[in-house]
Amino acid sequence: MRKLLLILASVLLPVRIAGVEAAQSWNVTGEEEARFEAKVVDILCELTGDCPTDCGAGRRQLGLVTDDGVLIPVTKNFAPFAGATDELIDFCQQRVTVDGLFTANHGTRVFAVQFVQPAGGDWRRANRFLDKWAETNGVDPAGKAKNTWFRRDPRIDAIIEKDGFLGLGQEEDKKYLADY
Amino acid sequence: MRTAKCLASAALVVWALGASPAAAAGQRIQLTGEIMDTWCYVSEIMGASEAVLGTAHHQCAVWCAAGGVPVGLLSEAGEIFMILKLGDEDTSNAGPRILEIQSSRVTVDGDLYERDGIKYLLIDEVVANEGIVNRSHEDFGVIPAFGVPKQ
Repeated sequence: MRKLLLILASVLLPVRIAGVEAAQSWNVTGEEEARFEAKVVDILCELTGDCPTDCGAGRRQLGLVTDDGVLIPVTKNFAPFAGATDELIDFCQQRVTVDGLFTANHGTRVFAVQFVQPAGGDWRRANRFLDKWAETNGVDPAGKAKNTWFRRDPRIDAIIEKDGFLGLGQEEDKKYLADY
Repeated sequence: MRTAKCLASAALVVWALGASPAAAAGQRIQLTGEIMDTWCYVSEIMGASEAVLGTAHHQCAVWCAAGGVPVGLLSEAGEIFMILKLGDEDTSNAGPRILEIQSSRVTVDGDLYERDGIKYLLIDEVVANEGIVNRSHEDFGVIPAFGVPKQ
């Protein structure tokens, strides 16, 4: 919980070191701060050769291939409960510099992107997901409501309404709340 | 002869454009395990890995899947498989079908790809779905606690 509060705070309080954005610790398991250059790839394409020219136009998980050929899945961005596709899709098959955190556990090592810089471009914070979500859902992108998108998303609302927050149905939720 | 050369050149160009150098055939596999949130499980940002499975973490897993965090299958052997495809739908970023089976225990047929220490799974078919059987909230409550609705 403390870690989550740190993340929510960091979304509001960007850190600048030497004029550029720098990764912030989230105190996750196996954490390693990292800044590196790599090419943005569609992971499914990279593995199978099924390669739409637009990296799947946002429908697919994206990764980074480093200069030595290592494929790194990017599983997280700089917004609450959101992945990285919206942060990287503009740079499909392009070279970028990313700044963020590796986390490694259970034999799996993945990357959370906090900032991204296209070749010759400016750094930008990896939270474009929020604006895109706001635009898709008719929410003011300049307002604060988008920061709690997960409590306002109609797809999520429909699933929780049907299955409950425990996933076992509304009756199980009621039993849990009665003892809470 | 000229036609044959042209066809060979065209085939080479098509191959070069369409295939990744690293592309390879997957390994057919059947797996049984729990559909889970890869980020929270690996990072333990919400708590210990065993607390971010099952009912305790179901709502958060739905949030993350809808937000585009990669969804995985945690096998009975404890291995993580990152899901890139489910049936004929290749929408691995917040796809509707994967949202519906969050936290469920399933058996799937598919293709396994492994690269740089990560296991990737392309599911052809969910052959069995037992629903949510991991009643982890009985041990851990709801993770994160702020997910509990205010009364």
